[in-house]
Amino acid sequence: MKWFPSFGFQRRKRELQEEIDAHLQMAIADRVARGETAETARQAAMREFGNIPLVQDVTRDTWGQAWLEQLGRDVRYALRQLRKSPGFTITATAMLAVAICANSTVFSWIDGTMLRPIPGARDTGDLVSLQRGERTFSPTPPFSYLDYRDLREQNHSFAGILAYHNDWTSLTGGAQPKPVYVANVSANYFDVLGIKPLLGRFFLPEEEARAIPNVVLSYSLWKTRYGKDPAIVGKSIEVARHPLTVIGVAPEGFVGAAPGLRDDLWITLNPLGTDVWRMTHRDSDWLIVIGRLRPGVSRGEAAQDLNILMHHIVAAYPDQHLGDNRITLDPMWRSPFGVNGYMAATLPILLAFAGVVLLLTSANVATLTLVRFVSRRRELAIRQSLGATRIQLVRQMMLEGALLSIVAGAVALLLTSWTSKTFAWFFPTNSIPLILNGSMDLKVVIGIAVFSMLAAMLCGALPAWRSSQAPAAEVLKAESASISGGSHNRKLLSGLVVAQIALSLPLLICSGLFLRTLRNLATANPGFEQDHILTASVGLNIAGYSNDEAQLIRHKILDRVSALPGVKVATLTDWIPMTLIQKRSDAYPEGYVPHPHESLLVEDAEVGPRYFESLHIPILEGREFTLNDDEKAPRVIIVNQTAARRYWPGQDPLGKRLRVSGSLFTVVGVARNSTQTFVNESPEPMVYLSIFQDPGNETIVQVKTDGNPVDLAPAVEHAIHEIDPRLPVFDVRSMRESTQMASSFAVIQSTLAGMFALIGLVLAVTGIYGVVAYRTQLRTHEIGIRMALGASRVDVLRLVLLQGVWLTGIGMALGLAFALGLTRLIARQLYGISAHDPVTMVSVIALLGAMSLLACYFPAHRAMRRNPLTAIREL
Amino acid sequence: MNERDQYKNRIELLQGTLDMLILQTLQWGPQHGYGIVQALRLRSGDVLQVETGSLYPALHRLERQSWVKSEWKQSEAKQRARYYRITAKGKKQLASDLGRWERIVEAIGSVMYVKPEECE
Repeated sequence: MKWFPSFGFQRRKRELQEEIDAHLQMAIADRVARGETAETARQAAMREFGNIPLVQDVTRDTWGQAWLEQLGRDVRYALRQLRKSPGFTITATAMLAVAICANSTVFSWIDGTMLRPIPGARDTGDLVSLQRGERTFSPTPPFSYLDYRDLREQNHSFAGILAYHNDWTSLTGGAQPKPVYVANVSANYFDVLGIKPLLGRFFLPEEEARAIPNVVLSYSLWKTRYGKDPAIVGKSIEVARHPLTVIGVAPEGFVGAAPGLRDDLWITLNPLGTDVWRMTHRDSDWLIVIGRLRPGVSRGEAAQDLNILMHHIVAAYPDQHLGDNRITLDPMWRSPFGVNGYMAATLPILLAFAGVVLLLTSANVATLTLVRFVSRRRELAIRQSLGATRIQLVRQMMLEGALLSIVAGAVALLLTSWTSKTFAWFFPTNSIPLILNGSMDLKVVIGIAVFSMLAAMLCGALPAWRSSQAPAAEVLKAESASISGGSHNRKLLSGLVVAQIALSLPLLICSGLFLRTLRNLATANPGFEQDHILTASVGLNIAGYSNDEAQLIRHKILDRVSALPGVKVATLTDWIPMTLIQKRSDAYPEGYVPHPHESLLVEDAEVGPRYFESLHIPILEGREFTLNDDEKAPRVIIVNQTAARRYWPGQDPLGKRLRVSGSLFTVVGVARNSTQTFVNESPEPMVYLSIFQDPGNETIVQVKTDGNPVDLAPAVEHAIHEIDPRLPVFDVRSMRESTQMASSFAVIQSTLAGMFALIGLVLAVTGIYGVVAYRTQLRTHEIGIRMALGASRVDVLRLVLLQGVWLTGIGMALGLAFALGLTRLIARQLYGISAHDPVTMVSVIALLGAMSLLACYFPAHRAMRRNPLTAIREL
Repeated sequence: MNERDQYKNRIELLQGTLDMLILQTLQWGPQHGYGIVQALRLRSGDVLQVETGSLYPALHRLERQSWVKSEWKQSEAKQRARYYRITAKGKKQLASDLGRWERIVEAIGSVMYVKPEECE
């Protein structure tokens, strides 16, 4: 027991030995004194004493520490057994490691995104995200400043409610303006989140709504742009050409309140005094709101509290609150603001898949273990007749499974520390400041331990219990050839094979559906041109120009870029479709009476002349914008088909009027519906405004080219810099590249599901191969006799194949039933294919059937080719 | 049933009774395992043969419960042996064991020696 020396166990064992020796010596001495010879006395004393090791063993049991010694002994024994069959050990460990890693990887992604929605914040479980009106996947900011303040000050359910608004701006003052992502925040923002400043201070309550040009830097910006200047607090930096005073630096790791997005700077709601309108109007919804629940208050109670307040607000200001005003609360892990909404729809499904892979692997390892144990029956029987109890044998065998799983868990831990970081690969570079990745923390380590334990239980306990039930005497008596595993073990083996097939079939079907969804998404027509389009963001709004200057520059950009060789059409927009960015406004069509709770939100984009021409979006009625649709001209608007049908059913939409953000617009055109965010969305009402009448927050130059759009990128950038060299130009990329963002979740799903299904297929096929091969080997003798008695080779082939086909058939029938349930879960993630798509089902069944048949054919072929004579002799 | 189980069953049967016998033996003075076996055999007129497989676990268990204490001493025959000595706690246990034993004997006795007329 060198492993546990400190327990004095060795000493006690020695003493017991000595005590027994003394007993024997005294017994011998007595007998010799009575006249027996030394030799007969010794023999008699020994006989009288009984089984010495057993007495020692039973006595040691009373010490209480016995389990420790037994554990050590069992561990050493298990290690010896595993060393004896390195093939099994390595295969089983590798399979388990891969399966555990699959689970822990997905879990680390969930952990890094959904479970850590706001890194650095305190008790994120108490935080809830507020949504107003219709619940959507990616809503626009739901609250105006005044409504937010009323809710914040009058509620009884929250320890604090914060508000923020994200936007792009630029750091000027350097040679090149640097685009940065900024958040306008309420003064209690850091306080509610529980963040303490690394340097300086955060905002004070009295600064919230006043024009005080203060700024808080993020740690990464402080580090990269200002070289960790310890004296940064109090210094002035230039943001969009306005001087702001640095008052503090946020601690490392904190990146803002929007899950998955990275803020660079924080400023108050109106630091320059330029945003008076949105500070004073209740119909200007621009704030995203997060509350921290008071201890003991449930989400439902808080929602009720807020809805009563909101009801009063709506009653007091009905005109500013048309449409649906119900407030709903979401925990941060599925908050619709930021990226967690998408994560919550994708990752749990993948974790379920990974769980199936783990079950499958455990069944496979259990099969291997059982086969090994059956062939170790003699050893087990001998141990049993030497005094081992069934419990001891089971413990012994479970320990072997546990050791495998522990090693596999350790390997998985190493693998996961790398795979957890691969999550970011799935997201194309994009104009969204995404910071998404898995994290490898204590929770993941605990997760791996749990997965390993699960695997150990599954693949150790069952076969162990089964094979220890064989009566020792019979096993010892029996000839090895006649014990073809016993009918119990045969049933269990068959059951395990059936389980593996039944588990792998749904994995294959789901991955087939995902792969076809991906193909459908890629080939789907989004309703606009994706090839030969280049887009480039120009930091007009963030560079600090006045409105008039900016409009002049926009005109110049159009002129210059249009004149470039290779450019067919140049236009402007403030939005690129299918990038997960959605812009929405409330639209009030004149004379339209909304249904109760109907949302009046429409998607909107501010676009330039020839926008529709450049994207090949047909104008079904009316016209598209021209250069003449500027500030002097009457306000005009183009609507999509959905908007036209909803607001003016059966009427001519041209000439109808619509109020958007306070101004009245006249419809001059109807554009065909085109994809807004996802190919599989149901189209929402959308309006297009003229960028020269209503400049948006972004200015994106959109160019239709003759050849490869990326080739034109330098020329476009050059042309813009000719107008003003200080204009920031960024996010220059082809439309194809931008729109990939919309399918990134489909890519994640199909990649992982495909990998998991492949693992499942390999496991199921090797599982059935292993069992059929093993059973055929046990029947060698029988097959020899059959052939000697006249069975043909085809008969033998059929005999062996049939048992495999039989197992496969049952497995597939069960798997199909399982799959029909599982595919319903993923139905929402599919596009252009039904969850019960017969083609996918049939091809997957054919694939799995063919592979299983092949797996059975090899052992069958081998059995068929045996010489009957040698087969009979082989016992 | 294997040998180990036989020991276990016998221990269960004798549990309490064996403990009581050992403690009683030690009442007469410290004794080693072999001495206890011999003493019990002598006193019972060769009827009680305590198995070593029951004796040593029982001794070690009694020591764990602090009813006995052990020390290594030389026997009269110059044999180094482990001597067990009853503790104050052990004496109390013995008294309670004895009380229970007497009640059981009495109870069994009253069942076994029922007078025939009482059965009618």
